[in-house]
This record gives sequence, structure tokens and C-alpha cells, in this order.
Amino acid sequence: MFQVIGGRGVQVTRLLAPGRAVLVEAVRGRKSRTDTVAKSKQGRIKVPPPVDPTEMVVLKERYAEYEMITRALRLEFKEEVLRKKYEEETGSMAEERSRQEAEEHRALMVFNDQENLRMLQQRVVRIQMEKEEAENKQVEAAIERELQQQEFIKEKEREILKLQEDAKNFITLENLDQRIEEALDSPKNYNFAVDKEGRVVKQTMLQ
Amino acid sequence: MPRYELALILKAMQRPETSAALRRTVESLMQRGAVVRDLENLGERLLPYAITKHNQKHSRGAYFLIDFYSATNILSGLLDHLHRDVDVVRPTVLKKDDQVSSSNCCGPQQ
Repeated sequence: MFQVIGGRGVQVTRLLAPGRAVLVEAVRGRKSRTDTVAKSKQGRIKVPPPVDPTEMVVLKERYAEYEMITRALRLEFKEEVLRKKYEEETGSMAEERSRQEAEEHRALMVFNDQENLRMLQQRVVRIQMEKEEAENKQVEAAIERELQQQEFIKEKEREILKLQEDAKNFITLENLDQRIEEALDSPKNYNFAVDKEGRVVKQTMLQ
Repeated sequence: MPRYELALILKAMQRPETSAALRRTVESLMQRGAVVRDLENLGERLLPYAITKHNQKHSRGAYFLIDFYSATNILSGLLDHLHRDVDVVRPTVLKKDDQVSSSNCCGPQQ
């Protein structure tokens, strides 16, 4: 709020009362510089709060000491951090550690390669087995298909023979009359009755 | 060739006329290139309801079953011809399914 400085651009309020050696800065507030001053504030001179010189001197000394101590501590800590960082990168243990890490890395890589080799062998064996299985399956499937085809052909041959046999009973122009007479002489009845016990009755009344 | 069944209802006539009508029908079938397999007679029966055809009311009819093998394209022509025949009360052509296996169907075993 109030800053104890002197300078251009800052409205300096001269203290007319004796003993005031402090320059204060005025804050604008709500009214601009062209607004009229309020009636109750006409001729008001703002004065800063009074300062006791002895108290000020004592305080100043104490504050100086305090700040010096805190600044020193702060710088000490910063330096410690920087030193730690420096030692981390280029200290005595850094080389040892980097060497050990390289060792570890090499060992792990070797282990990895061994594992890969082992896996590869296992995989090769497994793939071989699978291939053989697949081939066997294919062969079996082919045999199966052949059998099916043979069965199918046999079935069809059987059907053809059956049809040839049936063809002997077909109606032709010669036996047309004979067949008509036969049919008219023997009426067929497909009706029947069943009950819940399963007894079938084929004799029905033909109207 | 697919297998069809002609369920034929002829007018209730005397025997020679019935046989003449049947002969006519079968000959028309054969003329269209069908192979007639069998001819069955289901008897002369009371029709389930009175059918009026060719300006005549029928109450009795002679049922016949003709199964035959034929091409598919002749059926409409055949039905046309049969509808025009005066002695035919009702012709019906049905497709014949393959024979079902005669083993016992599902059901309570007795």
C-alpha cells in the first residue's frame, strides 16, 4: 500500500509538520484528479503514521541481521543442492556405478538371447508337430471325402436301378386301357382312424 | 424330372364315359411329354360341397389320382386344358415329396 520511496511519477506529499522526513505516495481511490475535493476534506493533509526513531534503528539493525542470516542459509542450501548434482554426474562413485550398470545390461542381454534361443527351438518343434498334424488331418479328410463320394455314387446307382425296376410298371399307350379298367375295378381307400391307444382302423364307410 | 400328382375329380358318369375321360386325360399328359407312373381310383364319393362347373351343379364325383413325371413348363398348359374339359369337375396338380423313411417316428414307445 504505502511504499517509502521517492521518485518521478509518484505524487510526493511533503510533510509540513516537523519531524516528518518520510515521503509517502498518494493512492488515487474512487475520484479522479479533476473531481472536486469533498467539503469535509478541504485542507486535509494526509500524514503518515508516526515512527519512533530509536525503535526504527533497533528494528533496522535486527532486520538486517535476520535477513543476512536467512540469505546465508538459503545460499548454503542452494550450494548443497548444486554440489550434490555435480557429484551425481561426475563424482567418484559415478564411474563405478556406470560400469556396474553396463555389466548388468550385458548380462541381461546375454540372458535374453539365451531365452530367445530356447523359445525358438521350442517353437520350431511345436510348429513341426502342428504341420504334421495338419497334414495328417488333410490326408484323412481326403480319404473321408473319397469315401463319401463313393457312397453317394452307390446310392445314386441304387436309385437308378430302383427306378428302372419301377419303370416296368409305368403306364404306356398299350396298357393304358388295361390300366384304366384295373383302376376302375379296384377303388383304393386311404382313410383310416386312430385312437389314443394306438389302434388303427382301416375299414371305413365309402359314401 | 420332378414328380407330380394330378388329383382329378371327374363327373359322376357311367363306366365307359369315365374310362374315355381318363383315357383322354392320360393321352393329353403323354402328348405333352409326361411319363405316367400310376393311376389310382379313390372311388365315387359325395363331394364335400356342391361344386358348379361348366353350368352344371355336381354333388357326387369320381376321384382319381394320377402320378407322373414331367417338365415344369407344361403344367399351366395342362391345367388350362383340364379346366376346359367338360367332364372334369376339378383338376389339381401337386408336387410329390420324396418318400419319408418308414421307420417309427418320435412318440411314446409302446
